[in-house]
Amino acid sequence: MIINGVSIDKTFAEAFPMKGTRIIITAQNLEWAMHSATAFTGFATSVIACGCEAAIERTLDPSETPDGRPGVACLIFAMGGKGLAKQVETRAGQCVLTSPTSALFSGIEGDDGAEIALGKNLRFFGDGYQISKMIDGKRYWRIPVMDGEFLTQENTGVVSSVGGGNFLILAESQPQALAACEAAVKAMKQLPNIIMPFPGGVVRSGSKVGSKYKALNASTNDAFCPTLKGQTKSELSPEVESVMEIVIDGLSKEDIDKAMRVGIQAACELGAENGIRRISAGNYGGKLGPFHFHLQEIMA
Amino acid sequence: MSALTLRLKTDLAQRVDCSPLTPDKLAGKDVADIAALELVSGRLTLPVDELFDISGDDVNDIRFENSSVKLDHIGHAMSQGHITIEGDAGAYLGQFMTGGNIEITGNTFIYTGCEMKGGQIKINGNAGDFVGAARSGYKNGMTGGIIIVTGNTGARTGDHMRRGMILIEGNAGEYCGSRMISGTIAVLGDVGKHLGYAMKRGTLLLTKMPQHGITANFNDCGSHTLAFLPLMFASFKKLDSQFANVEGFSRVQRYAGDVGGIGMGEILIKI
Repeated sequence: MIINGVSIDKTFAEAFPMKGTRIIITAQNLEWAMHSATAFTGFATSVIACGCEAAIERTLDPSETPDGRPGVACLIFAMGGKGLAKQVETRAGQCVLTSPTSALFSGIEGDDGAEIALGKNLRFFGDGYQISKMIDGKRYWRIPVMDGEFLTQENTGVVSSVGGGNFLILAESQPQALAACEAAVKAMKQLPNIIMPFPGGVVRSGSKVGSKYKALNASTNDAFCPTLKGQTKSELSPEVESVMEIVIDGLSKEDIDKAMRVGIQAACELGAENGIRRISAGNYGGKLGPFHFHLQEIMA
Repeated sequence: MSALTLRLKTDLAQRVDCSPLTPDKLAGKDVADIAALELVSGRLTLPVDELFDISGDDVNDIRFENSSVKLDHIGHAMSQGHITIEGDAGAYLGQFMTGGNIEITGNTFIYTGCEMKGGQIKINGNAGDFVGAARSGYKNGMTGGIIIVTGNTGARTGDHMRRGMILIEGNAGEYCGSRMISGTIAVLGDVGKHLGYAMKRGTLLLTKMPQHGITANFNDCGSHTLAFLPLMFASFKKLDSQFANVEGFSRVQRYAGDVGGIGMGEILIKI
């Protein structure tokens, strides 16, 4: 398959099940909601070392938020419900509770009502002065803080999700690879229910499972490292000088399907004339995850 | 199917315990069964059809017509369905109810919504003393649900109330929120003396300073913008109540008390 001179590999991205939730952070204005959301989703690029994968999904108009203030929706994913609960709680406590004028709400209903704590345990920061309020069947906590009151919903829903959807952009130069990634990420950011957790949505250090060093579970994906073309069993042709990857986490397989299609299409629009040569994907022979995203089927 | 209608035939000499006449307890019964049910009235037990003309057959939609303040325990422990009361109702309307809704065109006697756990009661009139309260000697009043009163309430509204919401469009009597443990009471009109007496926790939300002021056992915590209030007012929008039309506010003067006890309750007054 070739789109605008860009070859689409007959391969697939391999993804795995995760647990996810959406939280909504509001504040006096969007700037302060964004400060809090940026902190909340910081150091959350990969479960390999961060414990979770998180990013800002989109900004919200006052009409879309529970308290009628500007807000930001964040998606956060982890390998299991317990891990997700720990990450949400610690991040909410350190990055939202602490942020001036912020309030914190759940942005999703859980599968069969499944929930994890959001502000449930943060309430103890109130040292007995915290106040519970049941509004419309949902419990909120009012925690006295130095700028007034921090309002947080008690729980947030947990949904089965998919993590690790991905595609690789192979280009003739580093600037060209990055330009294609930027175009893809920009297009994908218009879509709901997905995030690209790496910096700017792009990862340049794709990994393979395992390492020659026993202490490491993952190491550089040497087959796609252009400087190793002559040293390893390379996947790269001579003209490819740079490879970058976009990793996608989503609330469902369909969400990732759609995001990959939109992202690959945007990258391909730059075409061979801009040095984009191939689109490939990372997989581990089908052994790592049950979700397979076949590039040619997605782009058909 | 049409609403099961129970039209009171005569003026009552004695009070009547109507607790058997709920959607839950009448489920599966036909009109003949219902007519034969016996209700306690004073020292007597009387069959339903001696007190009421019966028509209709939908036990999930029960209608009391020509109702009297002597009909007690209407909607007792109901968990679903709808009860409409044309006229007044006696004591313990909706006591222990966990779901469903009750609407009354007239006034209610004491202990409306006593220890209710869920559902909604709407009183298009006045309610007596101890709305949403605990029975004498019991520690927990209502623990869930909503009571809307379009008129006024008597004394001790929300006494020992633990959760839920009481919305009063008119005035509340003396000792409103007394011994309150949690929950919310909102009043659009005035409130009587001794507001929040022995209140432990919970919120009393007022749109204006009470005529009698705030008692000395509540301390002024200053004026604040509270983020939960817009959420609460938004939740009122779906109610059939004047509260749905109240312009939401989040700026309030906050008083904490009763400092004679643990002092964690609050009176919020719109500013």
